[in-house]
Amino acid sequence: MLETEELSKQFKGKIAVEGVNLHLERGESVGLLGPNGAGKSTTISMISSLIKPTSGDVLLDGKNVIKDPGKIRRVLGVVPQEIALYEELTAYENLKFFGRIYGLRGKALEKNIEEVFELVGLTDRQKDIVKTYSGGMKRRINIAAALLHEPEVLIMDEPTVGIDPQSRSHILEMVRELNLKKGMTVLYTSHYMEEVERLCDRVYIMDHGRIISSGTKDELKSILSSEETIMIDLDRPYPDLYNDLKQHDGILQTMETETGLKLIVPKGSRLLGELFQIADRHQAKVVNVHVQTPTLEDVFLHLTGRKLRD
Amino acid sequence: MMRHFLWKDMIIIVRDRSEMLVLLLMPFILIGILGFALGGILGGDTSTIDIEVALVNEDDREAGVTAFVDLVENFELPVEAKEELISVAKTLNPGLLLEEMLSDQELSEMIHTEEMTEDEAQTSLQSGDIDAILTLPEGFTYKSLEKMVFSEGSGSQLSVMLSDQGSLYAKIFSDMIDGFARNLNLETAIIAAAGEDTAQLGESELTGSNIGGIITVSKNAPANSMQYYTIGMAVMFVLYVAGTIASKAFVEKQQQVFNRIILSGMHPSAYLTGKVISATALAFLQLVILFLLSALIFRTFSLGSADFWIGMMIITLVLAFCVGGLASLLTSLSIRYETEGVSSIFTGGIVTLFAFAGGSFFPLTGMPNLIIQLGNWTPNGAAMTAYLRLVQGYEWTDLMSPLFRSVIITFVLLVISIIIFPKRRSVTS
Ligand SMILES: Nc1ncnc2c1ncn2[C@@H]1O[C@H](COP(=O)(O)OP(=O)(O)OP(=O)(O)O)[C@@H](O)[C@H]1O
Ligand SMILES: [Mg+2]
Repeated sequence: MLETEELSKQFKGKIAVEGVNLHLERGESVGLLGPNGAGKSTTISMISSLIKPTSGDVLLDGKNVIKDPGKIRRVLGVVPQEIALYEELTAYENLKFFGRIYGLRGKALEKNIEEVFELVGLTDRQKDIVKTYSGGMKRRINIAAALLHEPEVLIMDEPTVGIDPQSRSHILEMVRELNLKKGMTVLYTSHYMEEVERLCDRVYIMDHGRIISSGTKDELKSILSSEETIMIDLDRPYPDLYNDLKQHDGILQTMETETGLKLIVPKGSRLLGELFQIADRHQAKVVNVHVQTPTLEDVFLHLTGRKLRD
Repeated sequence: MMRHFLWKDMIIIVRDRSEMLVLLLMPFILIGILGFALGGILGGDTSTIDIEVALVNEDDREAGVTAFVDLVENFELPVEAKEELISVAKTLNPGLLLEEMLSDQELSEMIHTEEMTEDEAQTSLQSGDIDAILTLPEGFTYKSLEKMVFSEGSGSQLSVMLSDQGSLYAKIFSDMIDGFARNLNLETAIIAAAGEDTAQLGESELTGSNIGGIITVSKNAPANSMQYYTIGMAVMFVLYVAGTIASKAFVEKQQQVFNRIILSGMHPSAYLTGKVISATALAFLQLVILFLLSALIFRTFSLGSADFWIGMMIITLVLAFCVGGLASLLTSLSIRYETEGVSSIFTGGIVTLFAFAGGSFFPLTGMPNLIIQLGNWTPNGAAMTAYLRLVQGYEWTDLMSPLFRSVIITFVLLVISIIIFPKRRSVTS
């Protein structure tokens, strides 16, 4: 129902987004994954008509909406990356105001406000001034404000940045429910791989303004079907060992983790023995070794040679 | 739709204690302070001004004129020219002019002069019986005439010595004499017995033009100081409404609430209209509250006259719209350039300049014409003129020109702000 065609944006000649093609089917839950500065927010702003694309189109049910953004604005519920609320108003007053500018009135307005408060689990705090809320609570109201007018498509730009695990869990749960039970179409932006793994049917991976890969979670992981991941835990960092392994021809990707090293190697390569020898040469103490099937995080590492979060 | 914007803007500002402080408490306190402290100086009740001046005359006027006539006779000039010069000297006689000025009906109610010898005058000044000594030095008439008529010689100095007590009155007097001397192209030396402070006070704060102000407006009953400062402070502090609205708009833009509003399908111009309405309503409320409080607590305006209050409300409405226009311009600038600088420059500097040029601090009579003209074209200055004329009981027709200026200012502000405001539906280009 919603798609973009070769969407591009330059800011004063600097490319932020280039040739992005996305499509969302009705009722789908789609993830848009990418590290800081990948161009996720810019893409979303173009879809929601807040920013005019340098080139490319946004289509809603096959119709171009760039010239006439009024059409798409009512269909979309956008949760911005920043908290877009009036700090001096209570949560209830905020929702009342936003509901009214969406044209809701009277009973319908009260009913929707009550519903979204229940949805985000803040019914008992609704008369408090937003300034007094915790970060997680503000995030939840930020989402609630986008749901008031019962949008068909919910676009969320990193809605869980910087909040406590409970709030985060609550939000993910809620989004999943909206998607599954109410059939709401969801575009979920994040740089947390596990959120996208949990929420989304399909994933776009974005880096440096481009979509570098897309597909269902399984499809993406099958990119790595010919590869496997070796986690090596060490007692302390060994920079020389790391550099040595980076030069190794048989290893596709090497990166440091909190506990040691992470290697991506071709499936079936008998490297383990050699790895122990190399470790020995550097007098590194191997605490634990673990071979695993790839995660989306690994897919990202494979595609970009970088971690998703740095 | 607009009603919801108004509701939201009102709550946000009323809940902000520092805003309420600036918009209501500060002007009210300033009205009290300025109204009482400067009572009588500006005011119509000139009877409260009572300046005692000792006149020490060391000049022999007759001899001076005679000497000047001798001087003229010695020139090689046609007889007619000589006669002309001599008659000018007799009418322009500076000592006589000064005497006439001091015995002018208006002034003599405020200033009492008494001839004394140098010694007597000094003693009286020390004891505080008098506020100032005005000395006409020896040869004053002759030297002044020489300078005035032929631009020759060093001229003469009128000297004013001030007491350190009651320095405000003394200062008014010295400024007045200074003004007089400047008119006649004389030099004056103002000696402050109290030291430099007194002289400086006068330099910067109160000029002789204050007195002039009273004289020029006294055709109608002049506004008293409480009325003057109630109006002056109200029209100054109402400007802060525009700054406040713009700074809140900047916050809306920065915190993406603005985007959320645009995403609701609302046209950006409707947003701007909302700001104009909010600013206008807030300004109107603020002015009404200040005027009523001042009337009730300071007894500034009588509550009895319906005609007067209808006039006040009309001017207030016109001014409120003008503030709406100003808020619109500041909002446009803040959103277009995404900077808080616009409203902080406005509230931090421009308001004070406007207030000064508009006459909120003291009457501008005697100021350079350019400042008076600029002041007339500020939202506060135009409204202040209208209010003052209403208070002084001018005809309605006399109120039309400042009100008309207000309407023009409002219109210009709105047009500029619409041009500046991002017109596209998608707001960032
Ligand atoms: N208004 C702007 N003017 C200039 N450059 C911009 C603007 N907005 C974004 N950019 C640039 O475009 C690129 C993409 O930014 P964007 O905010 O879309 O990234 P993102 O994927 O949302 O990152 P994050 O995870 O940090 O939110 C960045 O390099 C950014 O600096
Ligand atoms: Mg972003």
